[in-house]
Amino acid sequence: MSTRSRSNLYLGLFCLGFALLLLFVWIPLDTDTGWIEKVRRQVTIGDSLAPSVAGIFLLVGGIILILIERSARDQPKLTGGNLRFIGSVLLILFISFAIMRYCGPLLVSATNIFTGETLEYRLLRDTVPWKYAGYFPGGIVLISGLISLIEGRLTARSVVISAVAVVVLIAIYDLPFDDLLLPPNGDV
Amino acid sequence: MKHILKAGVVALGLALISSGVLAADWTPPGPIKMMIAFRAGGGADTQARLIAEALEAKLGWKFIPEQVTGKGGVNLLATLKDQPNDGTVIGMVVTESVGYNLAAAKAGITPANFTGIATTAGFQMGIVSLSSKGWNTFSDVVDAIKGGQEIRFGVMSPKLADLAYLLGKAQGVDFNIVPVKGGKAVMNGVNAGDLDIGFMAGIQAKGVASGDLVNLASGLSTPLKQTPDAPTLADLGVSYNSDGYFVFVGPAGMPADARQALAAAIAGVANDESSKAGGIIKKAFGGASTITGDALTTLLADGYKDASTLMDAAAE
Amino acid sequence: MGVLDYIWLGILSVFQGPELFSIFGLPVSVTLVMILCGFLLGIAVGATPGLAGPIAMAIALPILISVFGYTQEALLPVMGFLIGIMKGATIGGAVPAILFNTPGTPDAYMTTLDGYPMTQKGQAKKALRVAHFSSASGDTFSDIVLIVCAPFLALLVEAYLDLPEKTALLILSLSFIAAVVGGSPAKGLISTGLGLLAVYVATGEDFYPRLSLGTKQLSQGFPIATAVLGVLIIGSVFKGLEELWHEKRKSGGIAMIRDSGDQRLHFADIRRLLPFIARSAVIGTAIGALPGIGSTLAATLGYTIGKSRYQRRKAKDDPDFGTGVPEGIAATEAANSSVSGANLIPVLSLGIPGNAAAVFLILAAESIGGFNPGPSVFRFTADVVNPELVVAFGLFTAMLIANGLNWTIGGFFMRSMGIMTRIPKHILLPIVLLLTLTAIYVQETRMEAIWFALAFGVLGYLMRSLSISPLPFVIAFILGGKLEESARQAFAATGGDAFFLFTNPIALVFMLMSVGVIVFTAVKSKGAT
Repeated sequence: MSTRSRSNLYLGLFCLGFALLLLFVWIPLDTDTGWIEKVRRQVTIGDSLAPSVAGIFLLVGGIILILIERSARDQPKLTGGNLRFIGSVLLILFISFAIMRYCGPLLVSATNIFTGETLEYRLLRDTVPWKYAGYFPGGIVLISGLISLIEGRLTARSVVISAVAVVVLIAIYDLPFDDLLLPPNGDV
Repeated sequence: MKHILKAGVVALGLALISSGVLAADWTPPGPIKMMIAFRAGGGADTQARLIAEALEAKLGWKFIPEQVTGKGGVNLLATLKDQPNDGTVIGMVVTESVGYNLAAAKAGITPANFTGIATTAGFQMGIVSLSSKGWNTFSDVVDAIKGGQEIRFGVMSPKLADLAYLLGKAQGVDFNIVPVKGGKAVMNGVNAGDLDIGFMAGIQAKGVASGDLVNLASGLSTPLKQTPDAPTLADLGVSYNSDGYFVFVGPAGMPADARQALAAAIAGVANDESSKAGGIIKKAFGGASTITGDALTTLLADGYKDASTLMDAAAE
Repeated sequence: MGVLDYIWLGILSVFQGPELFSIFGLPVSVTLVMILCGFLLGIAVGATPGLAGPIAMAIALPILISVFGYTQEALLPVMGFLIGIMKGATIGGAVPAILFNTPGTPDAYMTTLDGYPMTQKGQAKKALRVAHFSSASGDTFSDIVLIVCAPFLALLVEAYLDLPEKTALLILSLSFIAAVVGGSPAKGLISTGLGLLAVYVATGEDFYPRLSLGTKQLSQGFPIATAVLGVLIIGSVFKGLEELWHEKRKSGGIAMIRDSGDQRLHFADIRRLLPFIARSAVIGTAIGALPGIGSTLAATLGYTIGKSRYQRRKAKDDPDFGTGVPEGIAATEAANSSVSGANLIPVLSLGIPGNAAAVFLILAAESIGGFNPGPSVFRFTADVVNPELVVAFGLFTAMLIANGLNWTIGGFFMRSMGIMTRIPKHILLPIVLLLTLTAIYVQETRMEAIWFALAFGVLGYLMRSLSISPLPFVIAFILGGKLEESARQAFAATGGDAFFLFTNPIALVFMLMSVGVIVFTAVKSKGAT
């Protein structure tokens, strides 16, 4: 047992700490009623009880990890590599959704400068081609970005594949349906 | 209160005819987002979607229905109040959401944050039990409690819980008031025997007609259409009632032409019993009741004001 | 309305539903077509490494709902399609396992042990036939058990369990799932706790949305699709991408091995395989009926027990398990396929989902409305038709139709799916990610839903990295609301009795069992180290 991992111990301590924080700080400060309360001459269950049960599950899980399963065999741990990977994925996703959200309105304002009209993206959100102005570029960046992350380089092929994929998705979710809104058209 | 409502219904009949001309001038500048405060697939949700469908077919307007559920309609209202008020965003709630629930939520939102557009149907709120329990009217339930039986009373909103409590107080008995989520859940609970009696707002119509369920009392200020003999809450010594409507509202400050056009359109569909939406309204609520314009504004404001007296009465 | 009337109505509701087209004057209902489409899609998805039934179900659901709307008539076509996917994916999963030694779904891992050696010996087609035959047999057996048991169990529950007992039963299911899924009760409890915490944000009875930190974004809580799809699907996409990232893509084509010799499945083969299939089908069905344990354990158990029987009985010079014996494939496939039907027993009779596929069926029912899986479904009302009961029998019919498809065209279609295994995963996974996020958005129509889903995806990724099973999280998320509601109701209905879970004998037994199962597995897992 010389190569014993300590990751269960750390996970257990983390859960224990989080559960205590939840039970004694978050729940009391962020709910209106206690475990039970008295309304209309009747005792009823308040809003704190159920989250406290969740906290107790975490607490007991943490304690079992620390006391009983500390030296269990299968104990993978999080590595810097894990975090770097998920960080890069999230960065790509964040950029893609920023493009998706703001590309349409920006395009409309840009067109307004040239045409002198006062169009509003919100009112155009159900009109072709405006309604794809965000989803199409954002989707391409998302798919080709992730493919490139795996391949380690950006290729024209991956961009073409992602453009085709986004067109197919539009065909699946948008063309046949009147009242489905592609991102970001429900927000604008 | 009653007078205002009646006046409103009459006024609407006139308004419908006269506003037809004005309303025709307004068309929505873009697709209309229709927020729905009820679970997808339930009776209220179906009603809202059918109204949208009918209007799309009739007027060529485009509706995009969307669920914003939770907290008795307060979630929807909190989202709706900051939306554009040009008639492109509306929401369907019940009058109780704008009244009692907003008052109880203390979130700083009042009916003044909204423009009332139109009600579609009034609740047929009854206190209902299985007929196999052997009770015919509400006093049988009171006798059962006095005979030592515990009675579970299912309610689907805090306002109804207050009413149930006051009803018990007026009759000198205690109910075990059980909060459940939605009218369908009350009916399931009563059917499964988990609840003895419960408030149902129209969903009971079919069961009452077939004889499985019985309306023991009316929760309204008026007798129920289906069971006119059942005593009202006032008859049972409670000076409050659960009168309420399904209502479409928009953000405050909606232009008059948009408001009128939307109101006329919605009320038109609700009153048309040959339309699918009008048909289900007729089946569950015995017909549409469409209140619009100033009468609706007053109704919503009063509901909010009256809520605090009810809360005080129930808090003793 | 007697029982037989209901069964007949259920069957009719499948065949006579809205008509799509007619062949030779015979109307073909839309439900039938949907079951077929779902089934074929399921086989294709199951055969594609990196995809699995739940992913296809998740992505299909919003599309299906937009097609069919939120009406009672939508239930059977939509759920029929999902059931089709579920069944198709089960047999499809064996394809890459046998042909390329890569399991398409986790529970097909045991299939590689004997399946791939058979391929290497030039008997790929025969191996696929064995897999198909065993899978279809196990599946059919399991469905029959479901159809016979679920209504009775539901009636028992409805007759004997009052609100306090129902609450205690939910607690028991959650502890049981926490204890048995994934092999570490502590991690199961943590997963359950996180799921409960997530579902309790902004729900509850007060008007203030609890635990929302006063923010507007959290004040509507987490939509069920963001939590379920985030943790289950997006989390597994992240994990899959990471594995590819580490491998930097293995290059080189896959070597094709030519088939040689007799590929047919003879009656003598079937007679030899049947005892293995029967044993595994019973194991799989029994395991499937318990929520949360799932098909991987069923496959492992089926294989292990099949192996010990085979080793005892075999002639001296017969090949061993693991060297390409059809019995090995049969024992595995019959076991993992018989889980899916039985898994719907707790869903339909108690409303408790036991695996990811069941989770999506509940999600479908919940999104469409008008059908609440649980004991109240099986109310045989005499005067008024109980529409939920008709739907339930319609679902049973749909399952049997899917079985019929499985027996008739499933085998052929499955054997033609080898091509799907060639799709490069590193291109597929990003597309699946956008597909899933789009599916979530069209249902929720707000950007926050995407951020929530991604956050849950990261959580699912971290949980997988720490070998915490995400399944208890998802099941806790689905049952959490029900748990709080029934506890509130039980408490109020008993007149505010704080010990309502312990004053009634059945509830008390359930509570003792919930504590017992945690303690027992925790102590056992210590003993195993």
